[in-house]
Amino acid sequence: MIHIRRATWLHLVAAAGLMLSITQASAQQPDRGDQPGLIPDDSVQLEPEFQKQMVLYRTTEAPGTIIISTADRHLYLVQGNGRALRYGIGVGRDGFTWQGLLKISRKAEWPDWTPPPEMIARQPYLPRFMAGGPGNPLGARAMYLGATVYRIHGTNQPDTIGTAISSGCFRLVNSDVADLYERIPVGTKVIVRQKPEL
Amino acid sequence: MWMKRTFVTGLAIGLLVAAGIAAAAITYERYDTKTLKRTIRRDAVLCGVNTGLPGFSTPDASGNWAGFDVDFCRAVAAAIFNDPKKVTFVPLDATDRFKELQSRKVDILSRNSTWSMSRETNYDLYFPAVSYYDGQGFMVPKARNVDAALDLDGSKVCVQDGTTTALNLADYFRGNNIKYTEMKFAKLEEVVKAYNAGQCDTFTADASQLYALRLTLGKPDDHVILPDIISKEPLAPVVRQRDDDWMMMVKWTLYAMINAEELGITSANIDEALKSKKPDVMRLVGTEGVYGEDLGLSKDWAARIIRHVGNYGEVYERNVGSGSKLRIPRGLNQLWSAGGIQYAPPIR
Repeated sequence: MIHIRRATWLHLVAAAGLMLSITQASAQQPDRGDQPGLIPDDSVQLEPEFQKQMVLYRTTEAPGTIIISTADRHLYLVQGNGRALRYGIGVGRDGFTWQGLLKISRKAEWPDWTPPPEMIARQPYLPRFMAGGPGNPLGARAMYLGATVYRIHGTNQPDTIGTAISSGCFRLVNSDVADLYERIPVGTKVIVRQKPEL
Repeated sequence: MWMKRTFVTGLAIGLLVAAGIAAAAITYERYDTKTLKRTIRRDAVLCGVNTGLPGFSTPDASGNWAGFDVDFCRAVAAAIFNDPKKVTFVPLDATDRFKELQSRKVDILSRNSTWSMSRETNYDLYFPAVSYYDGQGFMVPKARNVDAALDLDGSKVCVQDGTTTALNLADYFRGNNIKYTEMKFAKLEEVVKAYNAGQCDTFTADASQLYALRLTLGKPDDHVILPDIISKEPLAPVVRQRDDDWMMMVKWTLYAMINAEELGITSANIDEALKSKKPDVMRLVGTEGVYGEDLGLSKDWAARIIRHVGNYGEVYERNVGSGSKLRIPRGLNQLWSAGGIQYAPPIR
């Protein structure tokens, strides 16, 4: 009995710690360098390696699965038959550092943005609430990753694709995120792969 | 009596000659199997490369060589000498490359050579490991919006006549029940010209070639290379048979680079990796075990390669990938754990 109780306490402490760290690195929310209100320049041409394209990709994962390779800044939508549709992404410089499996829990078009208090504290210039629209840093679409605060979303800064500047989310240019949004349902399996640690 | 003496003398001379020949043969054999020793005495690796192939091996105006195949020899030099510059590059034609290797004009051939059975058996050579998985692909105008070779039904296909490329094309399309019209040309330049002029819907050649040829088109960005690879062209370094030590050194140089990528070790973080406490990282960089010494090298042989030349992915991206003009996606050459088939046995 005592043993069980102790274990429960340990779990609680661990869970609290985890929640704390997730909230601090909260991702829905773009960090320094975000420019709410900025209307994206749609003429920005991505580097060829970050443009949406069909690539050879061998995997045992089922067609329809999303595989995110943070080191390469690529998001793969598995097509089967040894290929995948590849999109260029921007990734978190911190925050989302674990790898593993999640599911898309919700999808939203032109999502609203509510920066959390920690983020407001760090960047007082940020709005308390911003309705969805072209100037919103979350861009045209958002796909929620499980119960986390992380999302795959669009951006109003297409020039940040290929970089690691967000607080942990995965961003695509608006045309790509809209394309991906149409191709995947809620419940889609998302596999996140991180660069190995030394 | 006289007769007998002559016989004995004759026998003695004969034995001496035989012993001499045997000694010479043994010396020769020893000499032939000591490529590493000779390389060290010479203070340079002799590396046979292509006379000029974008991304793989090209000299600049002042004679400095660069490219994917070139970097592999630099990696071998880094492993042996801790100095990637100790390489003498010997440009070789396709026709006599294997003979030049056999006659010991070079220690290693790193010259976009396809590994096949007959090349190993007929020339007495050995291909230690695949450095680049090439294969036949298709180029199409982007505007056609084609994603797969199977979508090429009814296409006019430009191809070079009398090559295995033409045979592969026929096999693949027939096997998949795709109708097509073949337009054959004697020279590759004519194939490219015909495609560029819009005479055909697609053209086929080895994928690495397609990416290089795309740069010569009027508007390179208007054309894509499909992800399908329909033939096996495994490119590998080549060494002579019967020098197992040298062969293993060449093989593990490549495997060290592939393992380094898989473990996340790069030329930028090698110093950090030397402080790592992860056993597989420690074994590779030489802070645990003496794996390099078993190859006749130093403990830190792999760390030298990574520091001076980089891991497999770095070398790929710099020469033929996103950091180069060619921009060839990793494809089959991606690690086995990331969508490709590049796979190195572990160092342990």
